[in-house]
Amino acid sequence: MAQFFEWVSTQFYKTLIYDKRYMMYLEGLLDTIIISLGAIVLGLVIGILFATIKYINKRNGKLKVLTKTINFVIFIVRGTPVVLQLMIMYFIVLVFLSNGIVVAIITFGINSGAYVAEILRGGLEGVDDGQYEAGRALGLGMGKTMLKIIIPQAVKTCIPAFFNEFIALIKETSVVGYIAISDVTYAAYRIQSRTLDAYFPLIISALIYLVLVALLTFALRKIERRLAKNER
Amino acid sequence: MKDSIIEVKNLYKYFGDLQVLKGVSCDIKKGEKVVIIGPSGSGKSTFLRCMNLLETPTYGEIWFEGNLLNEVDPYLHFDIIRQSKTYTEVLNREREENSQLDDEQADALAIKLIKEQDLLKKKEGKAFKESVKAYSKVYRQDVNLTRRKIGMVFQQFNLFNNLTVMQNLTLAPVQLKLKTKEQAEAKGLELLKRIGLEDKANVYPSTLSGGQKQRIAIIRALAMEPEVMLFDEPTSALDPEMVGEVLELMKELADEGMTMVVVTHEMGFAREVASRIVFVDEGIIMEENSPKEFFANPKNERLKEFLSKVL
Repeated sequence: MAQFFEWVSTQFYKTLIYDKRYMMYLEGLLDTIIISLGAIVLGLVIGILFATIKYINKRNGKLKVLTKTINFVIFIVRGTPVVLQLMIMYFIVLVFLSNGIVVAIITFGINSGAYVAEILRGGLEGVDDGQYEAGRALGLGMGKTMLKIIIPQAVKTCIPAFFNEFIALIKETSVVGYIAISDVTYAAYRIQSRTLDAYFPLIISALIYLVLVALLTFALRKIERRLAKNER
Repeated sequence: MKDSIIEVKNLYKYFGDLQVLKGVSCDIKKGEKVVIIGPSGSGKSTFLRCMNLLETPTYGEIWFEGNLLNEVDPYLHFDIIRQSKTYTEVLNREREENSQLDDEQADALAIKLIKEQDLLKKKEGKAFKESVKAYSKVYRQDVNLTRRKIGMVFQQFNLFNNLTVMQNLTLAPVQLKLKTKEQAEAKGLELLKRIGLEDKANVYPSTLSGGQKQRIAIIRALAMEPEVMLFDEPTSALDPEMVGEVLELMKELADEGMTMVVVTHEMGFAREVASRIVFVDEGIIMEENSPKEFFANPKNERLKEFLSKVL
């Protein structure tokens, strides 16, 4: 027993304290959070935009070219691994951008946007036609009807699915090590290569992700409860 | 003719191959209360929904206070037909076949032929469509501007679920910058008081009964201060004990002189309130009369049959 505790404390010291290695985790955590948050926001904007365009096109057939383009983007995003998308963006498409974090936010933002668009499309189509008609019958234009009536109702029903997507996104960012960003996962890798011991660094990284996801889940519950207020 | 608010000219509406309306014309004058009745599937709701362009007519025109709502129907304008290539072709063919025709006869014959065979749609290309569009522009008004003046009440109420009752009432007037938020809320409260629901101002629609929802839907339309109100079976989705309160409010509106077009199955309401009853079946207006004559002396066979079932 005593031996076990001694082993734990040495490992703990080696992994976190010695040479201020906890800083690597903290810096990594910061990068993970920045990339995730940036990508979530960008993904939401892109997703709402894409889904709205597709919805409008379905209603009146006026945005055919845009819809085709969007469908193509979604096809590419869903059909290729996100690691490859990231590397293609970093080394080819956005090669002029030297800041890896910006590239990561853009890549994961577009990636997430495609999924959010598909989720929200279902939500938009689930809103009763009467809501749209009532808005238009009052003289509100297409844009205002969408913005004030249809999108809020659709987003509300999609929130659980969005959070699923965000949770997946946080974990997907663990591949940013491929473009030399030192996130939580990459921090583990770096520490492991110094302590020559995989056990502790990896477990700690996993715990950090768990805590992040738990926090997000907690926030989701709160938001859902608040939104439920305008139901019975 | 001058005091007509909504004018429907030769309205046709197809959904794919299904012909719902087959040539309906109707002129609604200021202050009139027109009740449209007919069996289900007769096209009466579609007819009403065309009046504020929730449905786009396939042929025909909808006019509101002298402004055209949809695109001009070339078949209603001989001068447009005469501009088309098809007209020249048909006219020349007629002349070849029958050299004795004078100009007037040939012209009438060609127009008749084009109308009957729907040649403009089949033969004319993009250039013709552009010229129709240009012609429309002269008369046409932005439909969103017109819809402000046409209140609409739906069978399923369609209150905005994501907004409180007060927000439902103020959304359109404020968003369209017709009123400030304060003005709109004052007006909203006044309307709520009128129907005795001022204590519901800050609740969401899901907590209301059907009758309350429909009355709020009616005052939501009134908040825009419309010149005409369209009712699409306003009591059909209500529990029987709630029908009365909605009809009562509609009667009040009628007494105040609101121009109303009502699609309904409530014969009592039609008899009491209507200034004119229109019977629609199989996509056409079968009969049209004052309520007294309509119920006492129905002439059309279909109408007699319908009345014997519902009365």
